[in-house]
Amino acid sequence: MRKVTETDLPGVGIRFDLQTDAGRCVGVVAHQTGRRDLVVYDERDIDRACESVQLTEDEGHTLGELLGGSPVLEHLDDAVHRLEDLVISWVQIAAESSIAGQTLAEAALRTRTGAGVVALVTESGSIPIPAGEHRLDVGDTAVVVGVPSAVKAATRLLRRPAD
Amino acid sequence: MDTGGDLLVIELGALVLALAIVARLARRIGLPALPLYLLAGLALGEGSLFELDASEDFIEVGAEIGVILMLLMLGLEFSTHELINNVRRSTLAGAVDLVLNFTPGFVAGLILGFDPVVAVLLGGVTYISSSGIVAKLVADLDRIGNHETSVVLSVLVIEDLAMVLYLPIVSGVLFGGSALSTVITVAISLAAVLGVLGVAYLLGDRLSAIALSQSSEALLLTLLGGTLLVAGLAGRLGVSTAVGAFVVGVALSGDIVSHARGLLLPLRNLFAAVFFVFFGLKVDLGLIPDVAVAALAIAAVTVVTKIASGWIAAARAGIGKPGRLRAGAALIAHGEFSIVIAELGIARESDLGALAATYVIVLTLVGAVLYQFADSITLPTRKRRVRT
Repeated sequence: MRKVTETDLPGVGIRFDLQTDAGRCVGVVAHQTGRRDLVVYDERDIDRACESVQLTEDEGHTLGELLGGSPVLEHLDDAVHRLEDLVISWVQIAAESSIAGQTLAEAALRTRTGAGVVALVTESGSIPIPAGEHRLDVGDTAVVVGVPSAVKAATRLLRRPAD
Repeated sequence: MDTGGDLLVIELGALVLALAIVARLARRIGLPALPLYLLAGLALGEGSLFELDASEDFIEVGAEIGVILMLLMLGLEFSTHELINNVRRSTLAGAVDLVLNFTPGFVAGLILGFDPVVAVLLGGVTYISSSGIVAKLVADLDRIGNHETSVVLSVLVIEDLAMVLYLPIVSGVLFGGSALSTVITVAISLAAVLGVLGVAYLLGDRLSAIALSQSSEALLLTLLGGTLLVAGLAGRLGVSTAVGAFVVGVALSGDIVSHARGLLLPLRNLFAAVFFVFFGLKVDLGLIPDVAVAALAIAAVTVVTKIASGWIAAARAGIGKPGRLRAGAALIAHGEFSIVIAELGIARESDLGALAATYVIVLTLVGAVLYQFADSITLPTRKRRVRT
């Protein structure tokens, strides 16, 4: 991962900056309220946000997915901070996944990785706290919670064929 | 029927509606509402066309509640951990800001022949920027992502923290009487403030958990009652009600904070507006011409010193020149705290009220405009530098 500069914004949240190789700077302001601002800095005045787009938490996740970055979004706002070392990740189930099409019970994600699926987002709506008989269908999004290494392992299972 | 009561309600209704118009106007022209509330207060005050009789006592109580709520909300913005981190990071920038901006007011106070305590108050008035107005300007202009904004916010946090030590000291000195009793009052207040902050640091989470309630009604009443009680007791101890309320805000953390903000914001907006009007009411319009020149001169000096402190703080954080200017311009706006401080001294020196009101109105309007146009100011100077 590239180096990201983190700056505290007292009373607001945290700002993350990324310098691109081409000399531009983009940033994300993570508000304590969950709001995210996507910020593009001016070429001539690198400290000035020439464009700033407000995103809800959900829109932020979607954009993260589109950019294809790390699916593990660490939440730094108050609400999730208290979870200490836990992270939450939104993982779209890929067709190549060895467990795509299996039920949660068959996939046994928790036993295999230590991370749990706390919700499934499907086309017909979300299923909070899905039971064992729910199926991990291709294209649905699983909300995975656990320590970072467990979430990473679960993400791999949901995205790639078994090694 | 009690006609006095009716009159009170009518006056209050008219007043609040007038403020509503002022707030809309401010929004329309893109300026902070606070200076306009002050103007409204002046227009209604002593020696003016309209006089509020029936509701004056009520407004006075409302103003007191306004100060308490402003400080409570300010305290809620910070957790003790955040405060401590900030002090560690920005001590130097904070110190520069203090020296550069306290001095003009203090010196001006002495030149104007105020007694030294009042000069210290005037120093406080010129020192402290308005975190409320600045935060709003930053958000309205979409500059939260700007690199200099973190610097500006850090400086504001240090200033607010400095107020927590400054307010008990000056209240102690103002109301202390003899030298010995003054020292004792100041020592008690500082010990009380530091003690509560210490307790908040260690037990804040637990206190917040006790205060938290599922019912928003119960939560609101708990918060309001608890804060008023602590603030009142703090006032009794000579610590100043404002500091008591601030400390309560800092002590609360976690889940309760976002609930509390949502519940208290409308109340704060109402009572803060009442406070500014009340301050304006107390100012004798006849005094303003006498102090206008002094107020404008001090305002002009503070524009320069605030820009300098923002510039230095931003430069230390590695920010480029246009950003440094923006940081400086952001810090110009003064507001709630300056008025709270001036209010303490109004009994001792009646000129202070008129001076502070004029000063805050001018400086805040100038600051808001400068901050908005800071970018267009910078670019030409940079081009010139390239040519030479």
